[in-house]
Amino acid sequence: MRTENQKAWFFVLPVLALVAFNALVPMMTVVNYSVQETFGNNQFFWEGLGWFEQILRSDRFQAALGRQFLFTFLILLIEVPLGIIVALSMPRKGLWVPVCLVLMALPMLIPWNVVGSMWNIFTLPKIGLMGYFLNDVLGINYDMTQQPLSAWITIVVMDVWHWTSLVVLLCYAGLVSIPDAYYQAAKIDGASPWSVFRYIQLPKMKTVLTIAVLLRFMDSFNIYTEPFVLTGGGPGNSTTLLSIDLVKIALGQFDLGPAAAMSLIYFAITLLVSWVFYTLMTKDDAQ
Amino acid sequence: MRKLLLSLFFLPSMAVAQQAGWGSVGQQEEKGFSWTDPLWPDFWMAWTSATLALFVGIFSAIALIGVLEGFKYRDGIERRGVLGLTTTLGDRLFITLLGSVYIFLAWLGLVGQPVWTPLFLSIGWGVFVFWKV
Repeated sequence: MRTENQKAWFFVLPVLALVAFNALVPMMTVVNYSVQETFGNNQFFWEGLGWFEQILRSDRFQAALGRQFLFTFLILLIEVPLGIIVALSMPRKGLWVPVCLVLMALPMLIPWNVVGSMWNIFTLPKIGLMGYFLNDVLGINYDMTQQPLSAWITIVVMDVWHWTSLVVLLCYAGLVSIPDAYYQAAKIDGASPWSVFRYIQLPKMKTVLTIAVLLRFMDSFNIYTEPFVLTGGGPGNSTTLLSIDLVKIALGQFDLGPAAAMSLIYFAITLLVSWVFYTLMTKDDAQ
Repeated sequence: MRKLLLSLFFLPSMAVAQQAGWGSVGQQEEKGFSWTDPLWPDFWMAWTSATLALFVGIFSAIALIGVLEGFKYRDGIERRGVLGLTTTLGDRLFITLLGSVYIFLAWLGLVGQPVWTPLFLSIGWGVFVFWKV
């Protein structure tokens, strides 16, 4: 017979109530909308699963989904290794520690739409500092308002600039928590820097890295503001990621039914990938 | 006189017509139960009986699993299944529901409506998950 203090549950209740109102109720409404059609005026007509069929088969959705996966894949591929490298090269003692930490935290403190506008002005081909430098000094043909490739490079670089520091800070926290004895033992054994990283630092960073990858996956998969402000989804549709397309359908065209069906598919994908990530990364701990 | 007698002959047919519902033309039709009509037309959440039943199903499944885990199998319900995952009852419910969503979506995307086949596939998937995973 286990004796536990069950009082703790009462402290969780306010959070549960809050989540119920800001997540569960809207979510249930989305499910209701996804099987109906409305022309406004709070009148709904049954549609069944037709919207799901339509969305899943539409080229527009498949293209946006492909772009979204490409974007998230690139982001993770760059930010995670880069974050680890930066965290490894940061000082762990001395005067430079607070300086580095503040510098790292700065990009994350800037609101998302401000980041978008900053990078927009920064990269405009004629008047932006970077755009002018690339075009007129280096002679590289770069125009993120006209060329899909330039636009893609810009949104990826912007996201790397904005969010790599999250990975850095989390990894740094993991690194700082490693006791000196580990390094001394490694030194006595004559371990190479690679083995120190592989067998001491990486295992100790595993938990925080799991969180970092999960957060970066979810955030980049649901990204909206920055690319919307920077490119508006253009040129053409080349940077229209899933959430930008979703907002276009829901608020631009006011097609609530298809938009609701699309958000549920979107949600299912996020949920599955997060669950798989989490399960794979915590699998070894359970054994 | 013969004509009058003939009209008498038609009188019962009028009564039959009344019975058959001709007399109720223009009257409000009494509505039966429908799964797909709006439940509360003035409410913004746009509930229908079908979607309500879906959520009642999900929440009662969660509640049932919660009661089972909390009281019946308090100690040691975890086990390692065929996928190599350590799962509790709640995990298995989650895997069942998430898997069902994907079975339905895949069917809708690749084949289309009606969705009876994915329904049976999902039930089979659920049985498999609770039995083996």
